[in-house]
Amino acid sequence: MAKKYGMIHDNNLCIGCQACNVACRSENKIPESVYRLQVWVKPEEYPNGTLGYEYHRQSCVHCENTPCVSVCPTKASHVNEDGIVLVDVDLCVGCLYCVAACPYQARYVHPITKAPDKCTFCHESRLSRGEEPACVTVCPTDALVFGDLNDPKSKINKVLSEKVTYRQKEKLGTSPKMFIVPNHKGGIRS
Amino acid sequence: MAYFQARRDFLKLATTGASATVVIPGSLGALGDVALRGEDKFIRSICEMCSSRCPMEARVVNGKTVLIQGNAFAKEMGTSLCAKGVAGASQLYDSQRLVKPLIRTGKRGENKWREASWDEALSLISTKLSALKERYGARSVIFSAKTGEQYDLLRSFASAFGSPNFENSTYILNFGHNLFEGLDIPLTKAMAHFSADPSKKLVVFDPRFSVMASKANEWHPIKAGSDLAFVLALLHVWIRDGKFDKKFIEQYTLGFDKLVESVKETTPQWQQSLTGIDAKVVERIAAEIYTSAPRCIIDWGHKATTTKAEFQRTRAILMANILMGNVEKEGGIYFAKTAERINALADERVAPELNDPYPRPRVNEPRIDGAGEEGMYRFVSRSHGVLQAIPDAILAQKPYEIKGWFLTRHNPLVTVAHPQKMKEAMEQLEFIVVNDVYLSDTAMMADVVLPEATYLERDEGISKSAFKTPTYMMRNRIVAPMHHTKSLIEVMRDLAERMGFGSHYAWKSIAELRAFQAKGDAELLQTLLMRGVASFDVPPLLALQPSSVERFCERYPKSSVLRDTQGVFSHFLRSLKTPSKKIEIFSAEVEKTFKGYGVPRSVDMDVTQGHPYVLTSGKSAVHTNGHTQNIPYLNMLLSTNPIWMHPSTAKAHGLKMGDTFYLQNAISKEKATVFITEGIRPDTLFAYMGFGRDAPQLKRTHGKGTNPSKLLSLESATLCGAMITNVGVTIVKA
Repeated sequence: MAKKYGMIHDNNLCIGCQACNVACRSENKIPESVYRLQVWVKPEEYPNGTLGYEYHRQSCVHCENTPCVSVCPTKASHVNEDGIVLVDVDLCVGCLYCVAACPYQARYVHPITKAPDKCTFCHESRLSRGEEPACVTVCPTDALVFGDLNDPKSKINKVLSEKVTYRQKEKLGTSPKMFIVPNHKGGIRS
Repeated sequence: MAYFQARRDFLKLATTGASATVVIPGSLGALGDVALRGEDKFIRSICEMCSSRCPMEARVVNGKTVLIQGNAFAKEMGTSLCAKGVAGASQLYDSQRLVKPLIRTGKRGENKWREASWDEALSLISTKLSALKERYGARSVIFSAKTGEQYDLLRSFASAFGSPNFENSTYILNFGHNLFEGLDIPLTKAMAHFSADPSKKLVVFDPRFSVMASKANEWHPIKAGSDLAFVLALLHVWIRDGKFDKKFIEQYTLGFDKLVESVKETTPQWQQSLTGIDAKVVERIAAEIYTSAPRCIIDWGHKATTTKAEFQRTRAILMANILMGNVEKEGGIYFAKTAERINALADERVAPELNDPYPRPRVNEPRIDGAGEEGMYRFVSRSHGVLQAIPDAILAQKPYEIKGWFLTRHNPLVTVAHPQKMKEAMEQLEFIVVNDVYLSDTAMMADVVLPEATYLERDEGISKSAFKTPTYMMRNRIVAPMHHTKSLIEVMRDLAERMGFGSHYAWKSIAELRAFQAKGDAELLQTLLMRGVASFDVPPLLALQPSSVERFCERYPKSSVLRDTQGVFSHFLRSLKTPSKKIEIFSAEVEKTFKGYGVPRSVDMDVTQGHPYVLTSGKSAVHTNGHTQNIPYLNMLLSTNPIWMHPSTAKAHGLKMGDTFYLQNAISKEKATVFITEGIRPDTLFAYMGFGRDAPQLKRTHGKGTNPSKLLSLESATLCGAMITNVGVTIVKA
């Protein structure tokens, strides 16, 4: 059976330390002016005047219903057999429809190839070696869980069955394969 | 915080890139890139991007990149590693790192250099050092290095307590031990799982809303410098109500009556005006901790603020733990279990013990910083030292003449209080050697700069890291040194030979050093080469936890004779390194030299020196104190340090986000920009440390941000010599 790779980002365990960000840059040789992955530490003020930080993972969420692929005129943007959304640089004509269509602002133009680029779950470098994506591997607090959603025994399915999760902009019907465990801390009185 | 919410091109602002037009002499950029010589399979080693020294592994891909992750052979690590650790390769092939020795050609500090061969540099150093030794004596040269920042100031009375046992605890009180911005992977990971667990309680005291505070159940923005007052009030409440572990106090401690006396007046009401925390909060927290004892930890690790009474603060926290009877119990705090301790308890050789490879032929010389000597810093461990004492020692030429300084990979002109004075002192010296990866602010003052091999290029000896069981680690080379840079061990061994005291050492090469340390134990060496860490199949031992002691005795039957009638190793806590061998709540030895310091008491907590604000500083998750700010991958994440300020404070001074202003006190006046946030007390300011660099060769950081050290006084904490990392300031409009 084909795989369907997905990921969980646990906002309670995440500390915004950027280890994932640097690991992604190092593994995928991302030029310094752009990034595939960052964690944004966002100060939040809650209605009762209290403080908190939200830890937002900014990267491709690997939708099942993919606007970036639908708008691509050349099929450069595609979903591979394991459910990973990818860009074939050789087919890309640089129209940037996909960059505009992505509701998650996950794509950027690679300064060397001039084609859109984004998170690939490290499929070419690490998954093929039997390793997990770089961000998951180095996360200091185990805030990221990666695995096959089609495998009922996978760790990701186990965690999904134990923790409440949501997905970003679910109402758009994009069906992201990035699941978020909401922060239950925060709202701390100063 | 919001620094990380950057637009994509925002990150670019601080980077000049590898194509800088003016190349730095002796740098990788000047000498040209070389292919990385290393293998595409994991070699296990030890990280050195900060002082935590986490076990890690790395492989070389196509001779071009080094990929780094945690070493899962260290169970508590898994493959986890922090941003700094993962960015190690970015330092390795940074075009601005040094790869060739430099000799000064201009005036000291003028930043004019010529490249030299290793032989020329080392022979110049040996000639100069030999001459200084002849003229002024060997003690006229200081050697200093960045050590692991172990919290060893308490070693003198209670032997070193190891780490707190977060995972089995249920209640943690945290005084700014910010494990989420100053990462130590095993501790950070355990703390993350603790704070994410809704059945546990974490209470954080910090003038600033840190990441740690954001993960807490309660955050109390305590006034800078007043941790001691809060803890004394806790002690007061527990003693007033008789709510503490009386049996433990009776069995294992001395001098409790003196503590009863010293906290008589430190009521919850008394602390209110000092800490800014309501008396009711003290009462409630005292009751909550007592209910969860002994599965509770009052964490004495790295702090948010420091005072002259740092020794009292940390010792008071330790006493709070002791009153809760959580020592050597599940979920509490414990003593590090070294091989020596375990072997003695088991009465058999369970884990190998090591030889000490470094001869110390001159231990009888008084130290210039006074560490371990009778007098001011009597209780500072000799392996730690007091850097702030160096400028005065040089300028006064006391206790004897100082003429030379050999510094390795540390940057006191950025990280130590009052660098202006340090610089003045350095100008008085006849000869300075700096061994570093970069031409740092401190290296600029040198006569000779040695380009150190980064940790990825070094083989080193065996290091110890004992927690609940003994563990050894070893740094193994991942890539061949670029342009033949050398490690400190190689440099010192070479100099020893040139200066004619090579025979002091029992080893010539790193391989011999390792064999000597391991006492020829080939199995241990093999494990350390293959896995980077060696642990031994020893059941984790907590000496006062009957179930743990029982498991230990089953495994090592000879240890049963040491078990007391309650089924625990009570003698373990009665054979400490204190004069009485017990835990000394009152220390006669301390009281003799420092009147009023023998028992925790309210002293010396002022941090404002009459100024309206306190400037504090701390770590970010992406930088080490003074070393990593110029490393490309890390610089692009945080490249400057605007000062955190409360909106009401900013308003009072008419400052808007990003405005420039001055921080001023009697020591200095420093330019800064403002970062306005609710996450800080109105009377407190905060800066991430390590910015405000003067060295033009650190092109990415030069002239960016503010160096808070420049406003700090050289006055150290009484007795323990800790640097006072915060200071009173006034805000002056630009």
